[in-house]
Amino acid sequence: MDVKRRTFLHALGLTAAGTLLPGCDKEIRRLVPYILPDDEIVPGVADWYASTCGECDAGCGIIVKVMEGRAKKIEGNPLHPVNQGKLCAQGQAALQRLYNPDRLQGPLRRTGAQAEHRFTPVSWDEGLPELADRIRHTKGPVIMISRPLSGTLADVVSHFIESVKGSLYFYDPSPELPLRAAVRQAFGIRDLPAYDMAEADYVLSFGAPFLEQWLSPVSFGIAFGRMRQGRKNRRGHFVHIEPRLSLTAASADRWLPIRPGMEGLLALGIGHLLLSDHRSSLPAGRLPAYESLYGGVSLDDVAKHTDISQADIKGLAKSFAEADCPLAIGGGTACAHTNAFESHLAILGLNSIVGNINRPGGIRRYQSAGLATHPKVPWLSERRIKELAQALEETDQRPLLLLYDCNPLFSAPPTVPIQRLFDHASYIASFSGSLDESTVTADLILPDHHRLETWGDHVIGEASPHRAASLVQPVVVPLFDTRGLGDTMIDLTRRLDGSHSGPDSFPQLIKDRWQRFHTSHSSRAHEPFQSVWEDLLQQGGLWESTVTEQRLHLSSSAANYQPPQFDGEAVDFPLYFYPYPAPSLGQGRGANLPWLQELPDTMTSAVWGSWIEINPATAQAMGIQQGELVRIHSRHGSVDAPAVHYPGLRPDVIAMPIGQGHTDYGRYAARRGANPMTILAPLFDKKSGALAIGATMVRAEPLHVPGHLILLEKPGTTAGGGSDLISIERPRSSNART
Amino acid sequence: MTRALWQSFGLISLATVSALLIGLLYSKGSADSAAQDQQPIPFNHAFHAGELALDCRYCHRAAHVSPTAGIPSLRLCMGCHQNMDTTQAGSMQTLLDHWTRKEPIAWVRLQRLPDFVYFTHERHLAHGLQCKTCHGEVTRMSSTPRAATFEMGWCLSCHQQRGASRDCLTCHK
Repeated sequence: MDVKRRTFLHALGLTAAGTLLPGCDKEIRRLVPYILPDDEIVPGVADWYASTCGECDAGCGIIVKVMEGRAKKIEGNPLHPVNQGKLCAQGQAALQRLYNPDRLQGPLRRTGAQAEHRFTPVSWDEGLPELADRIRHTKGPVIMISRPLSGTLADVVSHFIESVKGSLYFYDPSPELPLRAAVRQAFGIRDLPAYDMAEADYVLSFGAPFLEQWLSPVSFGIAFGRMRQGRKNRRGHFVHIEPRLSLTAASADRWLPIRPGMEGLLALGIGHLLLSDHRSSLPAGRLPAYESLYGGVSLDDVAKHTDISQADIKGLAKSFAEADCPLAIGGGTACAHTNAFESHLAILGLNSIVGNINRPGGIRRYQSAGLATHPKVPWLSERRIKELAQALEETDQRPLLLLYDCNPLFSAPPTVPIQRLFDHASYIASFSGSLDESTVTADLILPDHHRLETWGDHVIGEASPHRAASLVQPVVVPLFDTRGLGDTMIDLTRRLDGSHSGPDSFPQLIKDRWQRFHTSHSSRAHEPFQSVWEDLLQQGGLWESTVTEQRLHLSSSAANYQPPQFDGEAVDFPLYFYPYPAPSLGQGRGANLPWLQELPDTMTSAVWGSWIEINPATAQAMGIQQGELVRIHSRHGSVDAPAVHYPGLRPDVIAMPIGQGHTDYGRYAARRGANPMTILAPLFDKKSGALAIGATMVRAEPLHVPGHLILLEKPGTTAGGGSDLISIERPRSSNART
Repeated sequence: MTRALWQSFGLISLATVSALLIGLLYSKGSADSAAQDQQPIPFNHAFHAGELALDCRYCHRAAHVSPTAGIPSLRLCMGCHQNMDTTQAGSMQTLLDHWTRKEPIAWVRLQRLPDFVYFTHERHLAHGLQCKTCHGEVTRMSSTPRAATFEMGWCLSCHQQRGASRDCLTCHK
């Protein structure tokens, strides 16, 4: 019989489907009732619990749908002041972190060499004394690297690290440190101020990707919506300046593809024009400082170096000066260069010149809820990593490293000697919930609960007009033998003190603090706390709509503009390298969640992998085809990824999303794509020490083999017709029919 | 046999197998068949609901407040059974064993609607329907076969008779 290959495959497919069916069938054909009924559970009816999202540090309020004791869906909390019922993809996907098959199910101890990645389960009663013992007898310093923490947990962890005379650092791959440093210099405050975008009518963004992943993207999205469409007869104008057409740039009225690293120079040019051609709102005493900052540039130079024409710069200055509520914000790519601090001072200064500080639509500052008392924890900048590693090696001190929910071995480039810090450690313990690249090096892992299984709170900072603190409550019983970090810290403190003083448990501590907080702050202070507490849990936290504004004071804007430095000679490395955080993967933290992997990138529609973006003109000149594997070389290494022809990119730039290229971190993340951080040069912003991730020059080498690129939509094809994922049969055209 | 005959024979058998498989797929997707009423414990509805005249909702407690009727917890069974003589029937010993081991009984599901149908017991009971309208005279059934097809035509005919909504989105949300 002549069976064609196609026929055979069809038959095979059908048979395979047939054999799978009984397998799927088994589970749903069983009805397993409770042994003991839970009075609060009605089968088939959902309970919704309010809590706070923990996927990023914005602290959006969530409500979680729980059926028969299982969390089924996460939505935004409509009552919460930050996100007002909205929630981003990462927040939605937190459910897959809860049920992730690669989650750590209990404490683990490493057996064998570090590179073997072999662990054996231990009990908490073995793990906790072991760690306490190690801390007690360590000769080197105790260093804890944690994701940024808030509220009571931050206090408990700070207190613990203080009690063992260690150092606690917050680590975040993109904490916008140059911006923070500039804010500190300009206004003398430690926290970021509030950008009142909702009330602005002209927003000039220097690279801030506020609609993607910047600071608090959901609240910015809401504010942006209000600025554009939420006010009668007033639609705010938005200009975005960035070398690449990001999602934020695509939402702008105008996108200006600036030369990388020149954001500050452009701000100086605009400031120069504001001071010379337009009226400034600065008090007379302050004017000379600003004149010396902005006066030293010539418009010719600015236009030449930024690649933005003089007419455009004049137009920007004019619109900015004439707007009722202009607002200049900088972030993202403006934080990615060696001169980022000076750039931000120049950008922030534009706001001061037009006098929109402490004004609706400008830069403001509010009083935050007085729940947290912890001392400010320093950030672990990349330069700090380098200094720490060097200092420890020179003094031959072997630190005891503690890690919590951060992955510096993945997100810091190898040229920053983070690996040396880890190699030099005498002992590493991790409290993270999954085996990422950093946790896999640990000697002992005491995994934390998932956010939906634990207690906690989050203080909304001074950037929010609401004095708000939101609560984290367990919505499901912990699935595994994990323990909340707060309780682990309290337990360790007790073991090391040998005392039984202090709080009984972390949940009790939270409740006690909220009781004190409530008595001193709430308008319901006279009511019994238990009923207030239940209301607080039901609502998701405490927020007061009465705005207490703190005035920002201009302290100093003095800075000499520095041109950005780049690593690599133009002859060998002619292209700027522009790694940017993939909007859905959150610097790689989301890479182990299939929902985020399969979420098409908004600009290229790529899924489940890495790619590099190259301007079609550059690609044509270099003979690089769409989808072809390209090797990107810098002075420090190379990465391979398929090429996407992307017209929304300067021809002298190669862009690549950050987030893939994990070697560990579970089945969905590991061995997928490439990590652009591995080829970055160790150049830092001079003031804040943050890595200048845009300061590496590269060259591209086509490898003449197709790469693994999956797109939902293929560029250049008819609408909806070209895709790796969907095939649509279109009716034949009318010509063909006749 | 000629090559052409072999070919047509092959095609016919392929078509038959495909038809069977597609049939299987269809039957799996629609309401369940009654053929699998092999429960881990031979529970007798005729005795409990008929002879003892227990109200349906004594055991299926969620029916009037939830989309699903609910299956009684083991404790509810034991509420009556813990003081009974287990020698009467072997199956009662099985029930007791489950209780002692604290192991739930995995009942075989007989009544199931496909995922694309939104059905709620609550609404139907609120409109005064009796359990037996859909589930038959359970009080006289020792085992529990499916009393109706639970297919769309069957649903619609009742909706039509009673003047209930026949909008697609009522059931297919």
